[in-house]
Amino acid sequence: MSLASIAPASVTPAGTNPAPALTGQGVALAFGGIKVLQGLDVTFRAGEITGLIGPNGAGKTSLFNCLTGAYRPTGGTIHYGTAPLDGLSPAERARKGIVRSFQTVALCPDLTVAENVMMGLARDYRAGWASAFLPLARGRRERAAMMDGAMAALTTLGLERTASAYPGALPPGTQRLVEIARAIAGKPSVLLLDEPAAGLNTAETRELTRALRRLAAPDLVMVVVEHDMDLVMSICDRITVLNFGTIVASGAPDAIRRDPDVQRIYLGTEDD
Amino acid sequence: MSDALASPAAALPVPPGRVLARGATVLLVMGLAALPFAVQGSWIYALGITFANAVAVLSVSVLVRYGGEVSIGHGFFAAVGAYTVAIMEQRLGVSLLVSLPVGVALGVVSGIAFAWPSRNISGIYLAVSTMALALALPELINNAASFTGGYQGLYVAEPLVPGLSMSLQRYYVPLAALVLVALALGQFRRSRQGMAMLLVRTHPAAADAFGTPRVWARVAVMGISCGVAALAGCVLAFASSTVSPSGFTLWTSIFFLVGSVVSVYGLSLPRALVGGAFLTLVPQLLSASGAWIPVMYGVALLAVILAGHFLPRLSARIRRQGGTA
Ligand SMILES: Nc1ncnc2c1ncn2[C@@H]1O[C@H](COP(=O)(O)OP(=O)(O)OP(=O)(O)O)[C@@H](O)[C@H]1O
Ligand SMILES: [Mg+2]
Repeated sequence: MSLASIAPASVTPAGTNPAPALTGQGVALAFGGIKVLQGLDVTFRAGEITGLIGPNGAGKTSLFNCLTGAYRPTGGTIHYGTAPLDGLSPAERARKGIVRSFQTVALCPDLTVAENVMMGLARDYRAGWASAFLPLARGRRERAAMMDGAMAALTTLGLERTASAYPGALPPGTQRLVEIARAIAGKPSVLLLDEPAAGLNTAETRELTRALRRLAAPDLVMVVVEHDMDLVMSICDRITVLNFGTIVASGAPDAIRRDPDVQRIYLGTEDD
Repeated sequence: MSDALASPAAALPVPPGRVLARGATVLLVMGLAALPFAVQGSWIYALGITFANAVAVLSVSVLVRYGGEVSIGHGFFAAVGAYTVAIMEQRLGVSLLVSLPVGVALGVVSGIAFAWPSRNISGIYLAVSTMALALALPELINNAASFTGGYQGLYVAEPLVPGLSMSLQRYYVPLAALVLVALALGQFRRSRQGMAMLLVRTHPAAADAFGTPRVWARVAVMGISCGVAALAGCVLAFASSTVSPSGFTLWTSIFFLVGSVVSVYGLSLPRALVGGAFLTLVPQLLSASGAWIPVMYGVALLAVILAGHFLPRLSARIRRQGGTA
């Protein structure tokens, strides 16, 4: 963990990395006649932060939805390591440690911030129905353990003081960070972040950048969809560019920055 | 306890408002427990019914709060509990001690049996299909007359605590049931399962993505809600000393829902009591008035409830569709 945060993860030769990667072969998705994903081949390696960029409507969120099982692809296969994921429901994939954050914040307004983050850990706990209704020691221990995990995730993002607030009372940027805390709380093996910096102010973005760097680990697959190019260029080891449901380019940040196709379709439209 | 205190979040202060509310509830329960020594028999009887109805109100509120769904058929599940108590007393001569757990279990099972085939429908469609249960109920009871006593119904007279005055038992048993259900629901709100259900209700995709399938949540919330409804039916049969089809008509289900709305879907004991009191008193007042007035009243209430529940979602959907155009 600490080693990974000091040494850039990309130093690990990708071919020899034993940790499983998340791969898709020929992933296709269509709504009616509209082809949203046109047979993508993607590999998201463990130990790397991959940036997934592309203009609005390129299919970035749709690809996440296919990877997590929220959408059923119309073609292709998805593997985590050597295990195929195709038949698995979103909940089953979550139990394999494949988690995500949502582009539009999806926190429950009836739960406190800490409780929302606890839901990111819920898949690892097993206390039964008796402790759900009766004040049993097992349920109390479970809640305390989940609370500790949630507080650790909140602290990583500098949010520990919001723990007992309700999400509705927080500014949108903070809500989004809570959403990310929920995703990282359960020690995921695959972390898919959909526009984590949208709506964040500069200070919050800096906090997020630091947290994501710290989070990178040799056995973690991390994919970040983001429009904030500074963030993408500064944290990603590799960038994949999507346009109209196809991969336009894929490679190291510098190569992507220089790629003429990418400049034309994506970076050229940014006004910085 | 000490390990819970060691965790940082357990040290977070409990809001003073909640401490105050909890104290007030304790005082209320103590007052209710002392009441039979202060007031007359007919009041004691009516209050026993009120407590049982309050539990029924909680069963509907659980479904609304944790499932986001409305039922117009919870009278069916209450009848499962009530008839279990009455039939087991008549056939086996056993008291609530045995029949109540059986009744609750049957309520849970029938709730799940209903929830599974209806797991993919929601909103007004689910509400209407629960209504079908309530409509079919009196016929079902009458068709099984050899068991259920048909129109006449059955008596429930077996004491839970032999030797203690039956009229006091008809007061204290429903009160105890109400207190225990309210406590259990308070516990449930903090449980992993309860929190997961709340997340499913507001963001099913997010719940799915963190390992809680929405079908599980629907089936589980129906099991809990219908188990509580059956429990209400058990104590209602005990408190009122009879069960008959006229006690479990469509109106019974509608009034359970109305009571839940009157209590603003509250899961606390005082809120449930408000709903239970409404449920006990209003039908009595209405039965004294002309034949059509209760019907109009019921229809108007139902319309208001359904509109209040579904219109916001409907208009949100319309707005969303308008926004994309
Ligand atoms: N459930 C759906 N039904 C119909 N079309 C959909 C659905 N989900 C996505 N699409 C379409 O798929 C295309 C890709 O959408 P997607 O949300 O994946 O884009 P994106 O790259 O995430 O864009 P953005 O940067 O705006 O978030 C869009 O044209 C969108 O309208
Ligand atoms: Mg998107």
